[in-house]
Amino acid sequence: MKIERKEFIVVGAGPAGLSAAIEAARSGVSVTVFDENARPGGQLFKQIHKFFGSKEHMAKIRGFRIGEELLREAEEKGVEVVLNATVIGLYREKEIQVQIGTEVHHYKADAILIATGASENMVNFRGWTLPGVIGAGAAQTMMNLYHVKPGNRILMLGSGNVGLVVSYQLMQAGCEVVALVDAAPRIGGYGVHASKVARCGVPFYLSHTIKEAEGTDCVRGVTIAQIDAKYQFIPGTEKHFDVDTICVAVGLSPMTQLLKMDGVEMADTRGGYIPACDETGATSIPGIFAAGDVAGIEEASSAMIEGRMSGEAVAAYLGYASADEKALREKELEESLGALRQGMFAPKNRGKKLEKTDEGIELSEMLLEKGYIGDDEIKRFPGYRAEIKVHPVLECTQNIPCNPCQTACRKDCISIGDNITSLPISVKDSTCIDCGMCVASCSGQAIFLVSENPEKGTGEVTIPYEFLPLPEVGEKGYGLSRSGQRICDATVRRVRTSKAYDGTALVTIEVPIGYTDRARFYRKADEAQ
Amino acid sequence: MFDIQEKLKEIGPYVPESDDDLLVCRCEEVTKGEIRRAVHEGITTIEEMRRFLRCGMGLCQGQTCGMLTRRLVARELRVPQSEMDVATSRAPMRPVAMETGGRDLGVEKPAAGGDAE
Repeated sequence: MKIERKEFIVVGAGPAGLSAAIEAARSGVSVTVFDENARPGGQLFKQIHKFFGSKEHMAKIRGFRIGEELLREAEEKGVEVVLNATVIGLYREKEIQVQIGTEVHHYKADAILIATGASENMVNFRGWTLPGVIGAGAAQTMMNLYHVKPGNRILMLGSGNVGLVVSYQLMQAGCEVVALVDAAPRIGGYGVHASKVARCGVPFYLSHTIKEAEGTDCVRGVTIAQIDAKYQFIPGTEKHFDVDTICVAVGLSPMTQLLKMDGVEMADTRGGYIPACDETGATSIPGIFAAGDVAGIEEASSAMIEGRMSGEAVAAYLGYASADEKALREKELEESLGALRQGMFAPKNRGKKLEKTDEGIELSEMLLEKGYIGDDEIKRFPGYRAEIKVHPVLECTQNIPCNPCQTACRKDCISIGDNITSLPISVKDSTCIDCGMCVASCSGQAIFLVSENPEKGTGEVTIPYEFLPLPEVGEKGYGLSRSGQRICDATVRRVRTSKAYDGTALVTIEVPIGYTDRARFYRKADEAQ
Repeated sequence: MFDIQEKLKEIGPYVPESDDDLLVCRCEEVTKGEIRRAVHEGITTIEEMRRFLRCGMGLCQGQTCGMLTRRLVARELRVPQSEMDVATSRAPMRPVAMETGGRDLGVEKPAAGGDAE
């Protein structure tokens, strides 16, 4: 009988697990991380979009780069990461059973952190087992890790951030997203994520769900229908789409099996069926910790801080850090985590129907139901200002914890203030130098540079553009509205790329003068809408 | 917990629904109708359901259908979902080939002359 001894074992090499490993290793703890996947990083390497938050939360950095950074740091700190290692059991006295290759190994550790993340929820409609019905996470894995196009014509079910972000990424991969459907009456994810999908012309169907996936051997089409307040289909509201793929993004469930198996106390909460644990992730069993999505579904940014808090707590638990050191670091991390848990999408606001922003401005109902802000509605938000000279228009109308735009502007044209969730203000009488840093820094792609030339009867709009191939200067096409409709002719005047823009190109289009407040996307003349 | 006999009286007999043939557990091919009918036969916990119909006992171990089954059973019993216990977690947490399971280094090797190699 062979049981190997380890000091600190982390199960799961995602954002929470790696962060905990790094934090504990920094204090001198010897750490081993097991992950069942062939590649470390959890979901981070699928995240090709820029993250929200402030600088300390690695805002405006793309997820996969954060993953690279975590791996580099883990290696530097001497963390042992064992891949293709599936933890299949967790027992009393902190013993774990790991399948590595074709053998089952046993380890004991002084402390164990479970950071196994979450799995995707499913819904069962008629035809849901047909090939072509896939989880949004699976679509992301195919596209972003294996460079395989999941399908050609896709319907997305679920308007949370996962559904919105993956819809956008599907379009970036060259797929056509024919509709975004959600049973809820309001869009669940960030308005800015919805807007960047809507302006590409994707229609949103709220209070709708899938009735049937059609096809005998694989998905050939889908029928959706409207539902009433009791989630019953309303006859006569059916809509059919020819699709080859249906993506399902209807939430995540924490993968808590190991914790349950160990006998940790559990709690049924809004965030899922999760272990009852304190701020540092300490569970009811001393030495067993939980961090990241397994301890309650949140964003990767929060998972990284939770991981660090657990790592610090483990270091203290094992005697590597004093209580004072632990308390100090914990306070710092708690503040950082607290900042991320503010705003409209904070865990405490889940399920609440908000009507106004913190500033007292009425929220855009259209944004919540159709995915885009009304052309007149935008004018009541502080990010909007009318001016002839070039200036930023910030179409950020919900209180979310994010502020890179404020630091991106060296000319103080953008102000958020100390409160990270405040709406950005386009500062009156400031001098914009058209550097474009704000446009590229906005993780929500919600900043546009706008100017007018009354003598010429034209205006210019600079939009963030993350599709390939890039438009060419002089090219003719159309200006698209916030809802993705062709509203005017447009000529590409400038295409800017820069290392500082990190993959976001800035496309400046010239439009007739009345359209600078309305044209928010560009499409080449011969491209189908 | 509730009195099962009382509960069965309260929920009345099984009434077929038009989508009873819908699959819930795809690994073990268990339908919505089968699960609903089982409730009326007195299967009121997820653990019992797993043993009775094998739903959630296949390759994915209920990762996909666990929540669907829980919701369905709760609805049929007219109790809030939170009152339904979830399935017990047991090792192995993930499917393990018998061959691999047989190479468990944490298990004492049988004495020479035993059936195992």
